[in-house]
Parts: sequence; C-alpha cells; structure tokens
Amino acid sequence: MTTPATKDGVAGRIGAAALLILALAFGLGGATIHYAFASDPLGPRVFPVALAGALALLALLYWRRPGGAEEFPHGVLLLRILAVPGLVLLSVLLLEPAGFVVSIFVLTAGVAWIFGASVRASLIGGIGHALLWWIVFVKLLAVYLPPGWLFA
Amino acid sequence: MNLDYLWGGFAIALTWQNLLIGLIGCFLGTLIGALPAIGPINGIALLLPIAYTMGLPPESTMILLAAVYCGAEYGGRISSILLNVPGDAGAVMTALDGYPLAKQGRAGEALAISGISSFVGGVIGAIGLALFAPILSSLAIGFGPAEYFVLMIFALATLGAMVGSQPVKTLIGCVLGLMLATVGLDATSGAYRFSFNEPELGDGIEFVVLVIGLFSISEALIILENQSAGVTMIRKLGRMMARLDDLRKCVVPTLRGSAIGFVIGVLPGTGASVASAISYTTEKRISDRDGTFGKGDVRGLAAPEAANNATACGAFVPMLTLGVPGSGTTAVMLGALMLYNIQPGPLLMSQHPEMVGGLVASLFIGNFFLLALNLPLVNLFARVLTIPNWLLVPGILVLSIVGVYSTNASTLSLYLMLAIGLMGWLLRKLGFDMAPIILGFVLGDVMEINMRNALAISGGDISIFFKSWISLVLWGLAIAVAVLPFLLGRRANRRKARLTLDAEAQP
Repeated sequence: MTTPATKDGVAGRIGAAALLILALAFGLGGATIHYAFASDPLGPRVFPVALAGALALLALLYWRRPGGAEEFPHGVLLLRILAVPGLVLLSVLLLEPAGFVVSIFVLTAGVAWIFGASVRASLIGGIGHALLWWIVFVKLLAVYLPPGWLFA
Repeated sequence: MNLDYLWGGFAIALTWQNLLIGLIGCFLGTLIGALPAIGPINGIALLLPIAYTMGLPPESTMILLAAVYCGAEYGGRISSILLNVPGDAGAVMTALDGYPLAKQGRAGEALAISGISSFVGGVIGAIGLALFAPILSSLAIGFGPAEYFVLMIFALATLGAMVGSQPVKTLIGCVLGLMLATVGLDATSGAYRFSFNEPELGDGIEFVVLVIGLFSISEALIILENQSAGVTMIRKLGRMMARLDDLRKCVVPTLRGSAIGFVIGVLPGTGASVASAISYTTEKRISDRDGTFGKGDVRGLAAPEAANNATACGAFVPMLTLGVPGSGTTAVMLGALMLYNIQPGPLLMSQHPEMVGGLVASLFIGNFFLLALNLPLVNLFARVLTIPNWLLVPGILVLSIVGVYSTNASTLSLYLMLAIGLMGWLLRKLGFDMAPIILGFVLGDVMEINMRNALAISGGDISIFFKSWISLVLWGLAIAVAVLPFLLGRRANRRKARLTLDAEAQP
C-alpha cells in the first residue's frame, strides 16, 4: 500500500496544522488556569504551557517532513468505516433506555453486516452475541449493566 | 542477592485462585496472540477493566495480564506458521521459516518446535527478571524528586526508539499523552485544569477510557479497512511432535535467541519485533551455511520464537524496578497499577513485594501452563483462526463498551471513548503509534509532581536536576538510549527488509 508522496504530504500537513492549533489552544488554556494559591514555585500553569510549547515545536518539525501517512479511505469504504463508530454511538444511546441486550444486539448485528455478513447471518450473530455476553457478564460475572425495558 | 520476594511470590502465585487466573490468562492470551486482528496490547486493554470490576486484587490482576501478555507471544506463532500472517508484531520473523515448513506438510512439527523454544525463551527471561529486578531496584532506592524527574526524561527519551523511523511522531504522541494527563484536579494547588466544568473530567481522563479508545475502537476500524482475502490457511498439520534430531539442532539457537531477547526487552522502548528480527538475523549469519534459512529451517524458527518470549519477560524489568515500561504492553500494565492507586516507580518493589514477587513467580508457572496448553491443544487454537471478522469485531466492541461502562457506569465515558477512538484512528492513519500516548499519559502525573517538588526543595533553582551522580548518569543514559536503539532498529529494519525480499524471491 504505497501512496504518492504528494497526497501523503497533504494529510501530514493537515495533521501538523491541527496539532499546532491544539498547541496554541492548550497553551492559552494553560496560561489562564485559575488558582488561589500554590505551595510550590511553579504552580499549575507552567507544566501545561511548557507542554504546549513542546507540541508547537514538534508540530513545526512535522510540518517540514509530513510523510509517512497511509492512504485515507474514500467512497464506500469510508462510509462503511464511519458506520462503525455510528453504530457504537447508537448503541450507547440505546444502552440506558433500552437496556444492554437490545443495545448489544443492534451493535453486533449492524457491525457484522458492515463487515460483509449476510443479513441472516448478521441477525443470528447479533442474537448470539447479545445472549452470550448477557450470560457472561450479567449471570456469571455479576457486572452491573442496564437491564432496560425488556428485562426490567 | 535477596530473593525472598520471589519465594513470597510463589506462595501468592500458587494459591488456587491465582493458579486458575493464570491458567485462564494463558488460554486467553494464546487465543489473542493467535488472532491476527488483535495483539497483546489490545487483549490487555480489553481485559483490564473487567478484571478491575470483578474486584480482583492487584496482584491477581497483574498475574492475569502478565499471563495474557506471555500467552500472546506464544499464540502469535500459530498464525505465522499456518497463515503466513503474523498474529502479533513479535511473530513476524517466525513466518519466514515457519510457513515454508507448514507448506512442506510439517506444520505440526513447526508448531511443536516453536512451542518448545517459546517455553525455553520464556523461562530464561523469567530467570533473568527474577535475578535482575532486585539489583536494579536496590539502586533505585536513593531516588529523590529530582532523580525521578530525570528518570522520566530518560523514559521519554527511550521512546524515540519505539518507533525508530519517525521520532518526531513518537515524541508528539508522548506530548499528547502528557497533555491528557494534565486534565482534571491539580493536587498541589487545587486548581481544575481543562475540565470544562464537567465534574467527570474534574477527576481526570480515566485510563481505561483512553486505552480502550486508542487500542480497541480504532483497531476495529483498522481491521475493517485492511479486511482482505487472499490468505490460505494450511489445514494439514502432519505429525504433531518434534523430531529429536531437530530439537538437538535448535538447542543453541534457542539459547542465543533467549539471551538476545531478554537484553533487548530490558532496554526500554524496544519491543518483541526488534528482538525477534535481531535474533533471526544473528542466527542466519552464524548458522546458515547451506542457505536453508527462509526455506523451512527449524533453527530460523526456534531463535526468534525464543527471543520474543524472553523479551516479554525482560520488558518487566524496567517496569517493575523503575516504573519505566519496557514495551507498549507494559505501559498499559503500569496504567493498570495506577487504577489500584499503586504508584509505579523505584519504590514499587520495596512497598509491594507481594505483587512484584507474585508476578515474577506467575511467569515461571505460566510458562509451564503455556507449554502444556500449546502442545496438545494447538489444534483448537488453530481452529480459532477460522473465526470470521464479522463475528470477532462485534465481540471486541461489546467488550470495549462493557469495560468502560462497568468501571464507572457512565455513558459520558463511553462518548469520550468513542471520540478518543476516532482520534486514535486518524493518528494511526497519519502514521502515529499509540503506545507513546499511553506512556506519556502514565508518566505525566509523576513527572509533573516530581518536577515541582524538586523545584520546591531547591527554591526554584534548576541546577538541582544536575546535582547528584544518579541524575547525571540518567541524563547520560537518556542521551545514549535515544541514539542507540534508533541505530539498532534501523539496522534491524534494513536487514529485515532484505530478508523479506530474499524470502519472497525464493520459489
């Protein structure tokens, strides 16, 4: 998986710029930390500001040699990749209202489908995962997980 | 030399609970190592919160995680040999001679030989750890805040070595980790830093959230992206025992690999991949008189396997005695100690001898378990390789969610985990390694507190960091270590590249 050097560099440059912005924001945030007293000569501000300075310097070095990035996915693959965190988000939203079993079923069936399983296999896999992890965590390990309306 | 801690440790490791935990860890570790998708660091990230929630005491958690770590170094060879896809980074060199052997119908023998050399490497590594740890930790007793701070500088300097080819990215990762560690309440002044008035961030970012976000959410995305067919699994294992003749040929290469692996493991920052590469190339230079390496020579199989298992034990030496991780995986284990409010550092061995001793003793016991599991049950582990990603990855995600939710029952942590996971994925695509972030995060608090304490003692005079001979030695080591593994790694990479080309050129 080799990529043309120019494309490679663009992603690195964007990354370096983002890191530089982060360094500025962090340094500014660090320099304005409120505190009433400090029992040491440095106080709580110096370390974060020094880190921000170090990051800014490193980001500039990175900007000069921005290579080493992998090719970013695009098109359908990018959509599929973004769908995974999307499903995690959905299952977190469902976790407390609908309960662990429902939330896990949605997550595992959806992700299985994204990974190329047939609809039927995804559904069966989702049910299997939901049951397996419910037995393992709730019944065997007694971990608290929200039961939701289904098991309440 | 005082080895009392070790005998006490055996008393802890030999209780039936800890034996069972070790056995489970060895089994899971071998599975995790065998699966090409996940390595020891992901496995430990997933198991840590579950162990913590189950209320395991710290020494049992450490025994579990160490067993997983060592098990993964055993398991990695299975997919190297049967699929020609390394199960984890340390098993890359194992494929060079392991897969050709498997193609000749000798997969079972290759698995047996590599299992035995893994065992020898692991035991030699554990002996080295048991002997070295007390020596190093007795040196560390004289550390004050200034020395601790320079020690952290030394630790961070070694990071340039972890990803030798791109030191700037490694250092950026490290600084990001240090920054994440500043979030929350500053204990010395009572000020809240970067917590955005969010009570949960007031306590700081939780280690589990960070580790799972970086190592399991982003990993799931990477697996999806790299999902491609085109590997053929060798199903015919053949005879399952090693030939006596082959074993005899492997004695010296295995011992050499173990020694190389242990030394490289002790060097902070250089992990199993460098160790196995160096031991393979060394062995090839010494033993390859007939040009059989790369075509299925058992010696080329034994040396790197012994090395990667010895490395795993060696990496515990700096972690347990100085609080400086020897590898990415031991960085996560240091974070695990912090979950239990145990401060990793030079006093760990004197303050928690039961935990250190239990861990070291469990490595000895664990290697026997692993040998017993890996010789007869290798068929079972091989079958695991046929689990499709569409079944495996959802399981990883479920474990991530349960792991984070169970440690604090908050959905906010889950959102944070997701955000960190996406950030980790972007960074990985840009060619960043995740381990330095974890290392920076783990060392951040200790580093800042000691710097401030040292300056409080000296009244703000920075010459305190250069006063004692310990500090001066550490400064010297920091400079040496930043440069040396960088050169070693480059050399190993060059050789590895050449070897891989050679191997591909063979019909």
